[in-house]
Amino acid sequence: MVETRWIRRIGPGVATLGTLALVAATTLGASGRSWSPPPCAGPPIAPSAADRADATAWYREDPILLAGALDGIRVTLGLAEQDRPRSMDLDAEAFAAGPFGDTVLVGTDDGRLSRLALVDLRAGCAWPIATSRDVIRRATIDPDGRTVYEFRVDRTTRSDLGVWQRALSGRGAPTKVLDALEPDTRFGRTFITAFTWSLDGGLLAVRSCGEVACRVRVLDPATGRHRVLADPGLGDLVGLTGDRIIVRGACRGLPCPVVSVPLRGGTRVVLDRAAGLATMTTLVDGTARVVLETGPGGRSLRASSLDGRATEPVGTAPDGRRLVPSDGRGGALALPPGWIAFGVEGRLPLDGAGFTRVRDLTGGRTVDLAEVPR
Amino acid sequence: MSRAGVSWRAFGSWLLAISLLMGAPGVAAAHGPDPVLGGALFGQDQRVGFRWRSGSVPPPDIANAIRAAAADANASRASRAATFAFDAGGSSLIGYGAEATCGVNGIACFDRTAAPASFTMWLREEGRSFDWGKLKWCQMYDVPPNGCYDAETVALDELGHVEGLGHHVNFSDDSDYLDAVVQTFSRTKPRVGWDMHSFGRCDVATLQREYDVPTSSTLISTCLDLDTGLTLKPSATSVTFGKTISLTATLKIIDRDAYDRLGGNWLSQRVVKLQRRAAGSTTWSTIATMAHTGAAGTYAASTTVTASFEYRAVYSTPSGEGLNGDTSPTVKVTMSGCGTSICPQSQPTSER
Repeated sequence: MVETRWIRRIGPGVATLGTLALVAATTLGASGRSWSPPPCAGPPIAPSAADRADATAWYREDPILLAGALDGIRVTLGLAEQDRPRSMDLDAEAFAAGPFGDTVLVGTDDGRLSRLALVDLRAGCAWPIATSRDVIRRATIDPDGRTVYEFRVDRTTRSDLGVWQRALSGRGAPTKVLDALEPDTRFGRTFITAFTWSLDGGLLAVRSCGEVACRVRVLDPATGRHRVLADPGLGDLVGLTGDRIIVRGACRGLPCPVVSVPLRGGTRVVLDRAAGLATMTTLVDGTARVVLETGPGGRSLRASSLDGRATEPVGTAPDGRRLVPSDGRGGALALPPGWIAFGVEGRLPLDGAGFTRVRDLTGGRTVDLAEVPR
Repeated sequence: MSRAGVSWRAFGSWLLAISLLMGAPGVAAAHGPDPVLGGALFGQDQRVGFRWRSGSVPPPDIANAIRAAAADANASRASRAATFAFDAGGSSLIGYGAEATCGVNGIACFDRTAAPASFTMWLREEGRSFDWGKLKWCQMYDVPPNGCYDAETVALDELGHVEGLGHHVNFSDDSDYLDAVVQTFSRTKPRVGWDMHSFGRCDVATLQREYDVPTSSTLISTCLDLDTGLTLKPSATSVTFGKTISLTATLKIIDRDAYDRLGGNWLSQRVVKLQRRAAGSTTWSTIATMAHTGAAGTYAASTTVTASFEYRAVYSTPSGEGLNGDTSPTVKVTMSGCGTSICPQSQPTSER
């Protein structure tokens, strides 16, 4: 692992330039209007989970193509109440993660160096977080807003270098929290490794997916211990709580089974054998729900407790939209507990929050994202 | 009975994989028809028009590969599965690049939750970064490099899913990889199977089971293992010497739930032989290959009665189809007298 703590080593003045370079150097074949956030003042701040209730941030990732080949990643991001989202054109190997309150973590790799920055959408600025000569493939911030977790691969061999954590503040050296995954022919080579926090924020799921099947390591950051779910019959993650993980079957498309797996042993429950898109949320009373598309045409919605014992219909998606899944496929948004979102094809729209509809599972009302009471 | 019959249908491929890991008895270890995905099937021979998704139109080389894959599917389905055709007004959308309903992994995906009205399909963009490296589509290169994926093969795999096929379960050594294009792991150039441009026999097997075959003459996939039923009926059971009788055989697939739409199907244009033996003999002799009458699953032959004989029809297990042979019940035709003819001095007691 090759590490550069450039914020500390080269000082805040150069760090500012680095922040600008993050975007300026990576405006690829785009409209030329890529947003270059100015540097934020002071140390980086990501709101803790307790301070995220009023957050309205959202983002979406899209490829920038040049003659049919990937030339960059455009991250469109904004706040629900803002009409005009902003776009950041990044390198071809780039990602966004979050939102963490009204901040979004952005990573980009120019082929020589990976950079992480935390974008504060409300303040309209960004903090440089880290650089690495290894490739930072994905990253996330813990619910306390203090620690960054990164998954890295070797720049030359693309071999797995494990999961690392670092303080958001930049203090201290990064430390490895999960070793590289051992190769397993049942899963094939790893296509993507991604992070998901449990709804209560106590566990971090690290899923490493082959072409269709995924291995999930569930890390307890408090103890450093982790459990492994390695079943080639299981695929992508829907979400998790402190005691159950919700995963899909190893499918290449939809419909696909949604399965509830107890983390500490016990009987798996198939929540739906042929579900469409799915998401998870916590109701205001603290209970978790899986919401999924089901039934003929896959357009009926059903909410289910994680053990599958309690289910109830929650209508259909409005206006031909589809459920926005919670697995971070190309975008995410901040929502209060108990709310689910709908977008065209299950995606957040490029042109702002006004086109995203959201529904309160408890009250059943459906409104525009900007109208959600915070 | 199909070795891959009920249990494969009842469980999704994911559950099958779990069962395999657990060593569950009664589940095929590997190699059978592709599992069936959940959701509704398309109609038999339904023409499904697709078009490019606005804003996500594939580059020309990839678009050509997808069109070719649609033609591959149509040409190799050997069933009444839906057909695919590019149609500017089609309701099914195929996109390239931006991800809509795909998960985070994989090189392509589909969504058939809206079947039979429509489907969607996506291919990832050339150059997409995965943990292992960058995606290369062979069609994007004048000289496709090793490690590239063939877009036509991958699109055909996706169209198989759209039809309702789950991933084929291979033998542990993957020696049967070429039996299906609908595979869990797509192969890259130059591994065997990287450029399959037709459905494999185990893809076809499930398509036939789920959608039926176009005609009673269509060959049944060798990935199936279906029992057949053969009957034989003489035009008369008692005739005088020298009379000619006709014997009619019918051949069909046994009607079992596990055979889905193939159960009870007539089988035409197969080789059905007529055998006879003298009463009391244990030796059968083939006296004719019964001709297909033109009626589905019906075969006929005529013979002149010179003695009392037992007859049966025989359909031998073919090497090129997934059918098990059958032998009809024996029918006896008695020579009741000489009638107006002159009886021979001695009647044969056995076949010569």
